[in-house]
Amino acid sequence: MSLVSFDAQKTVWGPTVRRLLLSNEFGLLLLIVVFGTLFYSVSSGFLSSFNLNSMSRAAAINVMIGFSMMAVIATGGLSLAVGAIGVCSAMVCGWLLQEIGMPWPFALIAAIAAGAMLGAINGTIEVKTRLHSFIVTLATMSLFFGIMIFLTQAQTYRGIPASFVSFGRMKVMGLSAMLGPALIVAVALIILYSFTRVGKEMLAAGAKPEAAMLSGVRVGRMIVLAHALSGGLAAIAALLLVARNGAAIPSMAGQQGQDWLLIAFLGPVLGGAVLTGGKISVVGAFLGAVLVTVLSNGLLLMQIGDFWLQATLGAVLLLAVLADLARRKFLERRAQ
Amino acid sequence: MKRITTLLTGAASLALVAFGAQAETKIAHVPGGPHPFFADWEPASMAAKEDFNLGAADYRFPQKWELNLQNDLLESLVTQGYNAFAIHPGDPVGSVPTLNELVGTGAPVIAVSACVNDPSDVSFCLASDAGVSAYTGTKHLIEAMGPGTKKIAHFTGWLVEPNTQLRIDGVAKAAAEAGVEIVQVIADIDAPEPAEEKIGAYLAAHGSEIDGVITTAWVPAVVASNAMRRIGDQRIKMVAIDHDEVVMDAIRDGYVVGSMLQNPYGQAYVAAFAADKLLNGCEVSADAPFADHPLTARFIDSGAPYVDAGNVDARADVDRAMTEELMRKVEADFLSCN
Repeated sequence: MSLVSFDAQKTVWGPTVRRLLLSNEFGLLLLIVVFGTLFYSVSSGFLSSFNLNSMSRAAAINVMIGFSMMAVIATGGLSLAVGAIGVCSAMVCGWLLQEIGMPWPFALIAAIAAGAMLGAINGTIEVKTRLHSFIVTLATMSLFFGIMIFLTQAQTYRGIPASFVSFGRMKVMGLSAMLGPALIVAVALIILYSFTRVGKEMLAAGAKPEAAMLSGVRVGRMIVLAHALSGGLAAIAALLLVARNGAAIPSMAGQQGQDWLLIAFLGPVLGGAVLTGGKISVVGAFLGAVLVTVLSNGLLLMQIGDFWLQATLGAVLLLAVLADLARRKFLERRAQ
Repeated sequence: MKRITTLLTGAASLALVAFGAQAETKIAHVPGGPHPFFADWEPASMAAKEDFNLGAADYRFPQKWELNLQNDLLESLVTQGYNAFAIHPGDPVGSVPTLNELVGTGAPVIAVSACVNDPSDVSFCLASDAGVSAYTGTKHLIEAMGPGTKKIAHFTGWLVEPNTQLRIDGVAKAAAEAGVEIVQVIADIDAPEPAEEKIGAYLAAHGSEIDGVITTAWVPAVVASNAMRRIGDQRIKMVAIDHDEVVMDAIRDGYVVGSMLQNPYGQAYVAAFAADKLLNGCEVSADAPFADHPLTARFIDSGAPYVDAGNVDARADVDRAMTEELMRKVEADFLSCN
C-alpha cells in the first residue's frame, strides 16, 4: 500500500518538481543566490543593512520599470517611451503638488492617470496607423519629452511633501519600504494575467493576433489597453524615483528617458517573456529585475562597475535573448 | 616589576586608543558624470592622499551623467568603506536625500564645484560662484566689444546641471546693465556632438548679426573657440570659460579675448583636506564667513580669475596661487579644530 502511494506521489510530484527546477524563475533565483554569495565573499559589506536597503530600493524601481515594458511585450509590442512617459508623469505630479497644492495622494493618482493616458496615445497611434510600436514609441519618446521640457522649462519641482519623501527613506525589516508597492503591483499583475478575461485577451492578442480576432478578441483595444497599463506602471516607477530623490527632476531618466530602456527590457526578457508576445512571467520579470540590481550593485562593490557595468548588463540582455531564442526553438522541435 | 608592566601595558593601550580615535580617512571624489572639467580631480586626489597622509583618496565617476547612477555609486562607496566625500552633485535638489544618507553614516560630505539646495546636511559648498563668474565674463566681453549697440550670443551647458541657470541669469544681468542685447541662448550643448552641430549652424546663419559670444560651459567654449579660429577675422569677440588648451591657444592667438577659470584641481585638493579635518575632530566654524549663493547659505567661493592674452602663459601660477589662498582661507576661517 505504502509502495503504491509512494509511486503515486512520485508520478504527481516528479514532473512538477522537474518543471519547477527547469523554470526560468528557479534559474533566476539560483543566479541571485550564486551572485549574492559571490559578491558577499568579495565584499562583506554586500549584506550590510545600508547596502540591503540601497539595493532593495533600487530593485523596487527596476521591477516597476521592467513591468512597464512587460505590459507591452505581452501584446507583442515594445515601448521605447517608458522613460519619457515616466518622467512626464513625475513632472505632472510635481506640478500638481508644488504649483496647484493638491494633496499628495490625489497628485499620485493624477500622475498615474497621466502616464496611462500617454501610454494609451501610443497604443492608439499604433492601432490606427498599423505602424510598428518601435517606430511609434521612438517618435513619441521625443515628442512627450520635448513637450515636457518646453512646459516645465526643464525646472525641477521641489515642493514634494516630506511625508511622501520619507517613504523613500523608510525601512521595513531592513529592506526599503518601496518594495511594498512593487510587490502589490506584482500580485495585481499576476491576477490580471492569470485570472481575468482582459489579461488573458491581452496575451492572446500578443500570441496570435489573427486567431484572437477570430475568437472575438478586440486586438486593437487590447493593444491600447496594454500601452495604457505600461504608461501607468512607468508612472509608478517614476513616482518611486520622486520619493527617492525628493524632487521631480526632468533628468531623472536621462535624456528623453533613454536611461530606463536597458533595465526595462532586462527584467521581462530575463524573466522569460517572449518578445513576439503572448507569454510573460510576472514573477520572472520581478526576479529578473532583482538579479540585474544584484549584479549592478555587486559590480560596483567589486570596483569594476564604473566602466563595465553597462557592458555587463548589455551582455546579460544579449545572452537572455539568445537563451530565449534557443528555448523557443527547443519547444518548437518538441512540438513537432 | 608587575606594577611597571601594568603601567606600560596601560600606556600602550591608551596610545592605541588615541591612535585608533584618528579615523583613517578614505575620501571619494565623485563628479556627476564623465566630463573633461573633472580631469584634474584625479591628480588632485593623488596629491591629497600623499600630502595629507590619507588612507585613500580616489576619483570615481558614474559612467554616464545620470543622477541615479551617481546615487548608486555613492551608496556602493559607503559599503566599500569610504568615509568622506567630495561630490559634484548630479542635481541640486535630487542629490540631497542621498548626500544626507551619506552624512548619516558619519561621513563628512562637501559639495564641490556645484552646490545643493538648502536644507541639506552637507558641510558646505566649495565652488566658483557660477553666476558671478558668468556676470564677470560678460562684463569683460562687453568691455572688449567697445561702445555702441551690441548683440551677443550665449552658449552654455546642460539645463539640468546645477550651475546652468545661474550662468544664464548672470549673463542676462550683465547684458541688461550695459544695454547689450542677448539675441540667442543656446543651452544643453555640453557635449561635442550637439555643441558642434548647434554652434556651427548658429554662427553660419547668424554670425554676421552678432558682435560677441559668451560661453559658460566647457565643451561649448572649446567648440566656439575653434569656430572663432575658423572664421578668422576676429570681428566677433568671445569670452570663454575654463582652461582647455584649445581655449588657451585661441587666447594666445587672439581669436578669443579671455576665459573665466574655476581651478577644479584646487577645489578637489582643498575639499580632501577639509573632509579629512572634519572626519577627525574639526567642525565647521559657527561664525564661518560664508558667502551669498542662490542655493545655499554655506558657500565658500573658490574664486574665478580671468585670464587673457596678458597672463595666459602664467595660468599654472594663477591656479597655484588660488589653491594656496583657498587652503589658507578654509583652514583659518571655516574650520574649528579645538
